[in-house]
Amino acid sequence: MTRPFQALCVSVTLAAAVSGGCVAPPSQPTAALAPIALPDLTRMAESVRTQIQARHSALTALIVRRTTPPLDLSNAYGDLGKLLLAAQSADVAEACFLNAQTLNPSNYRWPYYLAQLYRTKGEPRKAQPLLERTIQLHPEDVAARVWLGDIHLQLGRPDAAEPQFSQALSLQPNSLSARFGLGRAALAKNDYRGAVSYLEDVLARDPKAASAHYPLSLAYTALGETTKAADHLRQRANHEILPADPLMVEIEGLLESPQTYETQGIRALEREDWTGAAEQFRQGLALAPDSAALHHRLGSALSMMGHTDAARRQFEEAVRLSPDYFLSQYSLGVMLQADGRHRDAIERFAAAVRSRPIYTEARLRMASSLQRTRRTTEALAEYQQVLSGSAELTEARLGYAMSLVQLGRYREARDQLIAARQAGPDRSIFTHALARLLATAPDDRVRDGQRAMTLVQELLTKGRTVELGETMAMALAELGQFERAASVQRDLQATARKAGLANTVASRLRVNLQRYERLEPCRTPWTLEEMP
Amino acid sequence: MRVALSFVMLLVAAGCAADPVAPIPAASESAWFTDRAAASGLHFVHVNGASGRFFYPEILPPGVALFDYDNDGDLDVYVAQGHPLNPTPDPSAALPASTAPLTGRLYRNDLQVRADGTRDLHFTDVTEQSGIDARGYGLGVATGDIDNDGWVDLYLTNFGPCQMYRNNGDGTFTDVTRQSGTANQPGFAVSAAFVDYDRDGWLDLYVGNNVSYRLDNHTVCPNPAGVPDYCPPQIYGGRPDRLYRNQGQGRFLDVTAKALVGGKFGPALGVSTADFDGDGWMDIYVANDGEDNLLWLNQRDGTFAETGLAAGVAITAEGKPEASMGVDAADFDNDGDEDVVVAVLTGQGMNLFVNDGSARFRDASTASGVGAQSLPYTGWGTAWFDYDNDGWLDILSVNGTIIAQEGRTGQPFPYDQKKLLVRNLANGRFESVGSRAGAAFDLSESGRGAAFGDIDNDGDVDVLVANDRGPLRLLINEIGNRQHWIGLRLIGETGRDMLGARVAVVRKDGPTLWRRVRSDGSYGSANDPRVLVGLGMSTESPRLQVRWPDGRHEEWPAVPIDRWTTLKRGSGR
Repeated sequence: MTRPFQALCVSVTLAAAVSGGCVAPPSQPTAALAPIALPDLTRMAESVRTQIQARHSALTALIVRRTTPPLDLSNAYGDLGKLLLAAQSADVAEACFLNAQTLNPSNYRWPYYLAQLYRTKGEPRKAQPLLERTIQLHPEDVAARVWLGDIHLQLGRPDAAEPQFSQALSLQPNSLSARFGLGRAALAKNDYRGAVSYLEDVLARDPKAASAHYPLSLAYTALGETTKAADHLRQRANHEILPADPLMVEIEGLLESPQTYETQGIRALEREDWTGAAEQFRQGLALAPDSAALHHRLGSALSMMGHTDAARRQFEEAVRLSPDYFLSQYSLGVMLQADGRHRDAIERFAAAVRSRPIYTEARLRMASSLQRTRRTTEALAEYQQVLSGSAELTEARLGYAMSLVQLGRYREARDQLIAARQAGPDRSIFTHALARLLATAPDDRVRDGQRAMTLVQELLTKGRTVELGETMAMALAELGQFERAASVQRDLQATARKAGLANTVASRLRVNLQRYERLEPCRTPWTLEEMP
Repeated sequence: MRVALSFVMLLVAAGCAADPVAPIPAASESAWFTDRAAASGLHFVHVNGASGRFFYPEILPPGVALFDYDNDGDLDVYVAQGHPLNPTPDPSAALPASTAPLTGRLYRNDLQVRADGTRDLHFTDVTEQSGIDARGYGLGVATGDIDNDGWVDLYLTNFGPCQMYRNNGDGTFTDVTRQSGTANQPGFAVSAAFVDYDRDGWLDLYVGNNVSYRLDNHTVCPNPAGVPDYCPPQIYGGRPDRLYRNQGQGRFLDVTAKALVGGKFGPALGVSTADFDGDGWMDIYVANDGEDNLLWLNQRDGTFAETGLAAGVAITAEGKPEASMGVDAADFDNDGDEDVVVAVLTGQGMNLFVNDGSARFRDASTASGVGAQSLPYTGWGTAWFDYDNDGWLDILSVNGTIIAQEGRTGQPFPYDQKKLLVRNLANGRFESVGSRAGAAFDLSESGRGAAFGDIDNDGDVDVLVANDRGPLRLLINEIGNRQHWIGLRLIGETGRDMLGARVAVVRKDGPTLWRRVRSDGSYGSANDPRVLVGLGMSTESPRLQVRWPDGRHEEWPAVPIDRWTTLKRGSGR
């Protein structure tokens, strides 16, 4: 950890130190300070290099003055340390913070930053006393307590972790990270009821705190509550629950580099601050105009602001700079798809999938556009590809069945829907699709009006939609009850008018009503527009 | 082995091939392991071609194999090699001085054991006469006898298509990639594993694919200060793994779509096969870099169900997927089931998943101390092995960062770390003992592949370590055989190592020890398929129960200790 400056800072003469980036401190009343040798700056962004050199020069000037009060010198070392920490030059940052701490032992920031530095390097035992020191100097520091609790958990000491999280919670009663810590500590102590209580509380306060689902599922499993365990397992996502940490937030935003602006912009996106995000990405692009990632992210922010054309231009610029930038290819595909330009959308999705073969969303979108352009066999293959990796994915199962319908393979479609209805979590979607197919399939061997009607009635107990009403009318017509079918269809027309549904729906309702009035059943399960 | 002395001559009698007892050599108290790579003729230096462009594959290799290709009773060595990836080579990018062409290398072990039990370990580079022409950008290697002819074959994973080499049984190999149907186009696999998942007596093949990287979609990932470095795999996205079913005689069929249903593939780096749920059918565990690990549970009908998350072995107890790289499965707590250890990134700490016997796992990384002791390291090759023959499996991981170390301006590839050795304290906890293990553990290098096996046939497990852009290291175990042991080779009727077979070492004076025949696990590497079981101070000859991969059981009433013995299927009772 302390290897670099001794090796590099051979000469401690001031002239050499200043010109070579190596600063030897003057004699101080306190213990000897470590010399600071700047890391190799040549590969850093120019803007960052300038920042670090300026901060280093300021420190050098204070050292040269020799009358600088220790507090000022401490701050200068600490300020340089913060920049270096942000630049991931941890070894030199460490020396800076140690000097800052030596010169001003009562400033809680320096042990805190040192602790974070050691934590990142996987040295929790070195971080622990520094966090304890931070808390001693700044007892109301919630972040320090949460991180200290975290370190105790890492070191297998849940009993020591618990009071840290508890105190953090008493200081900040809304703290999710403290509750999350208490939940994890309880889990580590096999106190499953306690874990459930804390972790459920986390999710009740913030349903987006999805990281809580997994430990909660473990706790429920241990309690034998398998349904709840499975439910939480399904909802699990990797969304870290971190303490509000103003000192580290300051570090994250210190460097004037494209990467910093990108990170800051992403943070703003997470806060749904679209304007702030766009501003950060623009600043990043000012430093790195050829960054496809920044163009894409700016496009995303603009899209969220409703500036579709501006967003499209950013996505186009991203793929111009980097044709393999699959996220922008996907975003452009989505925009084209929304405009009904399916052939162009297919090209974009195909490019995204070429670059990233397991990009499921892109493959599903591509399959949908292929269906709409009547390239059904290709769509079927794409759905099959998705299903080979994610067999339970509702969109893929439904799309696969719809493709079979489009190809006239009604029996296979029916069998697929029956299987999906039995296995899949979204049972009602498949039940409805099956009812529709049984009511309208052109294949006599597949059609079963009675069964279709039974399924419709099952669904009607859960809710009513125009689409379900259409299926009911179709089933009635199939059963020869044309008058009732026409009556249902007229009611649906009135509902659709009231709800202001699209013309395509009105037109479809009209065509089928005329059919029922002519005493003809429907033999078109889904129009092209209705396909998923 | 050129001069076959009596020590390793196999005497097949009543199903046992017994060797004379080898005296336990005196060893230095100060070194548990000593590096004998250069002294034994392993003058290999890996070339990753790094020239400052940060091509993603450069950070991954090389893997290494320990396997007895010439059936002379000792372990030979194969090591993957790279080359510059830059399409317009930078003349200033110096390559290490080496007389060998930049291809994967095969070294024959010419071990000599003298009458007094002392050994002369020497390797000869036989690549050119072997017919192996591995000019791809080599990443890893897997070993297994694909055609049941009793000669172990070689599968090479590359950045690009893989290669299958059939062992001709005369010291040469033939490239049968096309005929075998295992090219894994377009390829980018590191770890692969041979496993007879359908119990038909032929070794099938699981290939863990990494990312959808191509040189023309290459990108660089600068740190917050703008310093360029290698990208994480998520930039390129994972590529689906492949399962190849051996239809007989080494002709494989890609059955991925039919057999591996319902799993979201990730950037695979490690593969370990074992019967995790104890149903007698082999399952597959896949370590993914930064994404959920996979547990493919064998459904006994030619298909697998992916159950990693529900089984508690996909992510940590905190709910985080980690950067999983090396992996191994074994029974570290001697309770009869297969537990999993996974090497991960600095700051994450190795994952130790404890099996309850039914493929339900508990994350014991923290409680065991393994997590905390490994926090400073980014681990790659790793394995359960009993370095001190006390009957309890320990862990070694070879390490190296993926982010350049600062302050190494003069160093061409500043991604080095020391190795980690943790000792099983027989109570569910582990202690770090690397600082006592000798000078080889003080070396800071970019460790990647690691293969484990008894290279000098002296009754303890040695380790072959492959470094990215660095030399091979051969860590000879100097202390293991101070305690008693039994060495077992479990073979089928045709002489094939029966990967997946489990052996129970039943003792009167200690718990029954369960061990498995395996060449997979670790990272891009192939281990000694033989089983070496430490017995501590016990001098009792244990009873052995073997469960073969097809479910059959056999028993051997007493097997001599402190020697290698071959158990041939059908010769027990």
